[in-house]
Amino acid sequence: MKILVAVKQVPETSKVTLDEKTGTMIREGVTSIVNPLDLYAVEKALEVKETAGGEITVLSMGPPGAERAIRECLAMGCDTGVLISDRKYRGSDTWSTSYVISQAISKLGQFDLLLFGERATDGDTGQVGPGVASFLGLPVLTYVADLAIVGARVQARRLVETGYENYTAPMPVVATVVKEIAVPRLPTLRGKQSSRKAKITMWDNDRIGADGSRLGLDGSPTRVVRIIRPKVAREGTRVIVKNEQTALGAVDQIMEFLEKRGVVETE
Amino acid sequence: MNEYSRVTETDIEHFRAIVGPRAMIHGDAEKLEPYSHDETAGALYRHMPEVVLKPESAEQISKILKHANERRIAVTPRGAGSGLSGGAVPEHGGIVVSFERMNRILEIDTANLTITVEPGVITNDINDAVATHGLFYAGYPMSLETCFIGGNVAENAGGGKAIKYGVTGRYVYAIEAVLPSGEIISFGGKRVKDVTGYDLLHLLVGSEGTLAIFTKITLKLVPRTPVQVDLLVLFPDTDSAISTVPRIMVESGVTPTAIEYMDRLSVQTTCKYLNEKLNYSEAGAMLLITVDGHSEPEVTAAYDRVGALCMRCGAIEAYVADNPTTNERVWRIRRNIAEAFKVYSPVQSLEDIVVPFAQIPDLMKSIQELSDRYNVLIPCYGHAGDGNMHATPVKPPEMDENTWDQTLGEILRRLYTRTVELGGTISGEHGIGSKRRKYLDIAVGPVERALMARIKQAFDPNGILNPGKAI
Repeated sequence: MKILVAVKQVPETSKVTLDEKTGTMIREGVTSIVNPLDLYAVEKALEVKETAGGEITVLSMGPPGAERAIRECLAMGCDTGVLISDRKYRGSDTWSTSYVISQAISKLGQFDLLLFGERATDGDTGQVGPGVASFLGLPVLTYVADLAIVGARVQARRLVETGYENYTAPMPVVATVVKEIAVPRLPTLRGKQSSRKAKITMWDNDRIGADGSRLGLDGSPTRVVRIIRPKVAREGTRVIVKNEQTALGAVDQIMEFLEKRGVVETE
Repeated sequence: MNEYSRVTETDIEHFRAIVGPRAMIHGDAEKLEPYSHDETAGALYRHMPEVVLKPESAEQISKILKHANERRIAVTPRGAGSGLSGGAVPEHGGIVVSFERMNRILEIDTANLTITVEPGVITNDINDAVATHGLFYAGYPMSLETCFIGGNVAENAGGGKAIKYGVTGRYVYAIEAVLPSGEIISFGGKRVKDVTGYDLLHLLVGSEGTLAIFTKITLKLVPRTPVQVDLLVLFPDTDSAISTVPRIMVESGVTPTAIEYMDRLSVQTTCKYLNEKLNYSEAGAMLLITVDGHSEPEVTAAYDRVGALCMRCGAIEAYVADNPTTNERVWRIRRNIAEAFKVYSPVQSLEDIVVPFAQIPDLMKSIQELSDRYNVLIPCYGHAGDGNMHATPVKPPEMDENTWDQTLGEILRRLYTRTVELGGTISGEHGIGSKRRKYLDIAVGPVERALMARIKQAFDPNGILNPGKAI
């Protein structure tokens, strides 16, 4: 079984702040990590490999530094890594990105199972997995919460608003996975050490041979006109409670607030 | 024995004039109740205050203490109430002075690498405030998200980073405090060196609120080490894990920031409680080892050396956490142990005995013997790298409270005696408070203890400050 997992390097977002003026993320000093949802795909790939055998290729598109994300996946147990990186790709939207990735995958050969995280925590679109499937002309299962290989087919359980849907699909197939599918393992020390030495395949556009007119900002049909931060219409004071004592203090503060506004009266 | 005056209506009037009506709690049992205990489990460590005062300044505290001293009313200073020795419990009723309104960061001095704060600042807030300057405060109690810096200094709190960074006292440069007489005193300054007179600054550190009440604290900051990697190492049994600890300290050539030990019972209980899917079932014990530094190659070389040593010492597996997500995942296990055991039985005695780190294997054997002898679970975890272990006798759910109090007393007496025999002592970071006072003689000789009493007498002749604690 040949498995491909696509991963994206994203900023660690738990402490990210937004630039008040531009509405974009302040990336300085923020650690880069593997998109958490992609790690579920990596874990599922490893589990499939453990039961059905096979080989896992990790593919990422990004700046040269994204090599680090690939090494993290190799440390977890994936077999080979491919980084597609070219200045021409800068500013690519999800359509252009899906196109480039699908071109690279075609060059890498045939895969039976292609796994993606449901979406990336920075862009939050969830379009690249299905986009790649579309360019490759493969069936796609989105929001997959459980997946098993049965013979030459995959059985998948999709998480939908009303519950779950069960599907079987022939391989090759693309699946985008949700958190529920697996708990990512931590990399081992041995894994870390061998991943540092691993050779990662670096491909630029000359190697991939994607159509130059469909790359980067200029080749992307999406136009970002304006980024706005939704304004919260409600106004208020936030009182933070950290323990029993501050809880009582907080009640006093709220009472004071309400008294000032004439909502309640106390003697 | 009631040598202290009760708080009268006249006293209340007096205090109201000092702090204002909104900054006091009086006559409302429900609102007073949170101030009647800290995090020490058991009914023994609960006592209601008569009044809670929340002053805003050293001047207000001075007036409160002057009055209480004249009237001989007991005064118990209180931080966030996250202590583990009963230190903030008003054993003799009277006044609780709570610092929740004295929570301002007064100054960050980046030229001298210091921060000056009021005692009610949450310890974590100090780190949030200085992080943007590329600095950090290295005192690190495990309760850092809730505890107050004033309490940390009063207990000389230790915590998870002590092997590399030392404990709270190392970072205290200056203290302003109020004596029971109402006089405001100050020791120290923004100085690395100071041998002018007796080192009373460090006498106040760890004095458990029995000598003076802190009103302002200046702390040393250090450059932040941006790279942190944790190794979570699984061992087949206690022996192999524990005997690795001194070897890391001596042979690896690395001083880790932390070496935390968790025994099988702690690991299993906590992983189940957190629904953690790590492959822990074979592990008889775990070490959580943190190394930090300024660059990635430096830290990588360090954790490689430590990890290789662990594997040579018989580890089953070593996992690497090198980003904020995985760092949090592995530390969450360690931080939730106490909570996880509360689900099994809420009554437990969290101990913080400390021995020279090479003696930990002997200590662990003795703890196992005690556990077998009394048929009581004693999960053991903690700061193995500095010899400070949280052996925690947990009341069997079926045992009644009276039998438990008696059994626990016997266990503790034997445990403490053994600890002292090994060159250790009965409390490394939680303090004596009221909880360990009756065992103090095991660790402190009669002459030394009498000397401590005379020091107390010099600061607090009427004995109004935190009576029933520490010495």
